[in-house]
Formats: sequence, C-alpha cells, structure tokens
Amino acid sequence: MNEEKKSSGTRLRVLVADENPRRGHALSETLHADASLDVLTVPPDKALIDAVRDYGPDVVLVDLDRADRDALDSIRALSCSALERPVALFVDEDDVDLMETAFDTGVCSYNVLEALPRDVKPLLRAAIALYARFRRTRDELTEAQIALAERRLIEQAKRSFMKNEKANEAQAYRWLQRRAMQTSRRIAVVAEEYLAAQKKDEAS
Amino acid sequence: MNAPLRIGVLKLADSAPVIMAQQKGIFAHHGLETEIIVSPSWANIADGLAWNRLDAAVVFAPLAMMTALGHRGHGAELRPLARISRGGNTIMLRGINPASGVWQAGSHGRNAFDIWRNAIGRKPRIAIVHMYSTHLLILRRFLKMIDVDMENEVTLSVMPPADMIHALAENAIDGGCVGPPWGTEAEQLGLAFQVGGSATVLPGHLEKVLVASRKLLACEQKVSRMSLAVQEALSFCQKPTHHEEITQALAAPITDGGLLLPPASTRTILPGGEARECVTFSEGTLLPSDLDWIISDMTALEWIGEVEQQMLKRWSGPIPAASSPV
Repeated sequence: MNEEKKSSGTRLRVLVADENPRRGHALSETLHADASLDVLTVPPDKALIDAVRDYGPDVVLVDLDRADRDALDSIRALSCSALERPVALFVDEDDVDLMETAFDTGVCSYNVLEALPRDVKPLLRAAIALYARFRRTRDELTEAQIALAERRLIEQAKRSFMKNEKANEAQAYRWLQRRAMQTSRRIAVVAEEYLAAQKKDEAS
Repeated sequence: MNAPLRIGVLKLADSAPVIMAQQKGIFAHHGLETEIIVSPSWANIADGLAWNRLDAAVVFAPLAMMTALGHRGHGAELRPLARISRGGNTIMLRGINPASGVWQAGSHGRNAFDIWRNAIGRKPRIAIVHMYSTHLLILRRFLKMIDVDMENEVTLSVMPPADMIHALAENAIDGGCVGPPWGTEAEQLGLAFQVGGSATVLPGHLEKVLVASRKLLACEQKVSRMSLAVQEALSFCQKPTHHEEITQALAAPITDGGLLLPPASTRTILPGGEARECVTFSEGTLLPSDLDWIISDMTALEWIGEVEQQMLKRWSGPIPAASSPV
C-alpha cells in the first residue's frame, strides 16, 4: 500500500480538472480554504486518466468541456487500467435538481466508490457556484458586446437616413423609433433592415 | 413557445445526416425547430441524454443501451428513432505493415501481428474512443479473428479521436479503432496503416443510431416528424452526387454549422468513396439483426444480464413505436 496515501488519514484528496486555467485556479483557491481538503490540479499536458492514476484522488471535479473525460468512463470496465481504487461518475438519484444543475453549469464529479455523498455534494455545489459565476461574467460580456453592436447599427442607420432624407438626427431617430413601434420590433432590427435595403438599392 | 430540440453529435463523418438535415432545412421543413450541439466527449452525450440536456443524439448503440439501462448510475428513458449508419470504423496501427493490406483471419493475421509487435518492441497500446463503443466490439472481434487475446496481449486505453492522431505521432499509442474520417486521416498523414475494420470484421454492421430521450419521446408528433426528417436526410447523404456538398458542410467551422472535419479524408470515406472503409447511411427500420450481435457481444463481456438482453431486443422494430419506450 501507498504509505503516503494512508497517512493522509481523513483528509479528502480533491483533483480539479478544468480546461479553463483561470477558473480551475479560482476553484482550487476556494477549496483550499477548507483545511480538511488536499487540493490538486491536472497539469495542462497531462491526460485526465493519468492524473487520476498518479494522484489517487477521492473526488475529481471535471469540466464537461474536457474531451478526455471518456477515459474515466472506462475505469471499471477496463481490467488493465490498474487503478487501486476505481472511480465512477457521482450520481445522486434523489437530488435530480443538483444533478441537472451540475450538467447545465458544465461540471460533474467522479469519486472513488467508497466516497460518501455528504462529502462529495458540498464540493460539487462549490464547483457549480463557481462555474455559474464564470458563465455569468461571460454572458454579461456577450450582452455588452451585443448592446455595443446594436448601438453601432442604429448610429449607422441614422446617418444613412439623415443623408438620404436630408433630415436631422432627431428626425432620423424618431423615424426609426416609429417604424419599430409600428412593426413591433426592436429598433436595432429596424436599423439593420434599413441599412440592408439601402445596400440593395446601391447595388441595383 | 417551444425551445428548439437539442441534438448532440461528435466530430465524426457519420454525424452527416443530422448536420445536413439542419443545414438544408430538412428538420425545419418537417416543422421541427432544432439545434445541433457538438459535444467534446461521448460521456457528455450519455449524460446529456440522461439529465435532460439533450433531446436526441447520434451515438453508437452500446453506449445508448448502457445509458438507458442505468449503467452510468442513473436509468434514462431512451429509444432509438432511426438507424443512422453502417460500418466505417477502421483499425489502425503505427509503423510498417508486415503484410500487404488488411490482415487475414487465422495464422496469416497472427504472424503479421507477431512481426509487427516485435518491431514496435512492447505490449501494443491500442486506443478506442469509449469503453461502451462498437469500436471496442469490432476490435475484440478482429483480434479474436487473428488469434490475439485482447485481455492479455494488448493494453487498451480510451481517448478522443483527434487525440489519437497526436498520440500516434508521439508513439504514445501503437494503434486504435476509430470512426470516420479519423483512421483514414491518420493513414493520409502517414501516421498509421489499416489492418482491418468494419468491412473486415462484420460488413454492414450497425454503427450509429439516433436516440431520443424522455422529453422528446413524450411528444409523439415530434418523434414521428423527426423520424421522417432523418430518413430524408439519410437518403440525401447516401447519394454520391452529394459528396462534395457534404464534405464542405462537415469541413465548415462549428460556428457555421459544420464539424471542422479534414475534407480530404472525409471525401474518401463517404458512401461509395475511394477509401477501403466507407460509411453507409442506411434508411429504414432498425432490424433485430442490427442489434443481435451487439447484445450478444455485450453479454459475452458481462456488461449486461439476461433480463437486460430482453429489454434491449425491444429496441428494434418500426419507428416510431406506438408502445411506450424502454
């Protein structure tokens, strides 16, 4: 037996397998705060299965974007995987919400078979919370980009209208606004259509 | 308003019918709003089907069956909606082929294997894409055919197809059984030679199926529309005149609805292509004979028992089935 593993006693060994280094680092930091945890990460060039074999974790928190997750599915079925303590996908049949939220958020957990749900669930919850926060930041960023692009379209359409109709800026904006209201569409959509129509006219 | 149906695929040429149905508006024409989700791993497909993240997926039957039976820890209501493809898997080895072409059954193959193993100088490391794959079953049958014991004479590992190309180049693995176009791609890159595959071991075997999960199965109208749409897409993809269009569609970036597949190898493995191992897109009902060999091999590997065998036999038959799903 591996003496080091034995001597670690009741400390839970957690392996963080995240393709996103920034998020992986943040998750490790969060878990480090708990003194009962030994937190390890998968180095960038190491296959997940090799890390699991070498580090012998009790719990593996896995980013669903990792393509090498399939190797973990095989541990029980492949006799030659030579793992002392086989791990399997953590599934809580009684907590469908937690499971669906985990998969929705993009993280799951594999555990050694003897790990207890009460030990695993807080870790999975922590990972879900962190993943959700990262996703929110990304979504906010995307939304900001969309808003910016829309504003640009509206500005462009306004300028085009001013030139074509010899109108001022307020008139141009009112025209777009009215048209948006009449057709119950967003002003950016109307602006885009207006620009497309102008382009067509120029081409013909 | 309904959310679009989410269909999971991997970056493989046998995902073509679903990709083309989406791109050519075949789903839309049948009144279906659909979204293609390109998954990084088979585990994601299985978990997506089990935990309501996917309404359908293109997947090999063994994984769909094991997922439905709860062997991933959670029973999932799944049912095949259509057969997608037959054949297309290749068994590739690195180094120099001691025989010419594919290996023959019996002592011819065994001799070739021995010479090749001595040349690479270690117990061969062979990769498959997932444990519960047709690839494993085909590889096992191939090794048996040439009198090689899979349990003891090779070391199996699991990795994604694209990683296999890299692993062959680095000598991290000595071979693999992989779906289209990745085996042919490895051959074209000079990284491996083909010793066998679907056509050598079990010509025309069932490869991918379109499987639906609980939410979609609850809507009979959508099930029937999707089945019809897929049959139309299969017929489209099987026609050699559409090769170029399909190749271009599959080579397109994922953001443009493609799968970023290498076009040169993809072109050769489409139905009627030049490669030794081509994929066949096969319309019609899922037949008992499509599933029999899979169920029997899964039993031999002790993945499933007697009761489960009987449950899985109900997967064949007309689609959509009027009866309730397994």
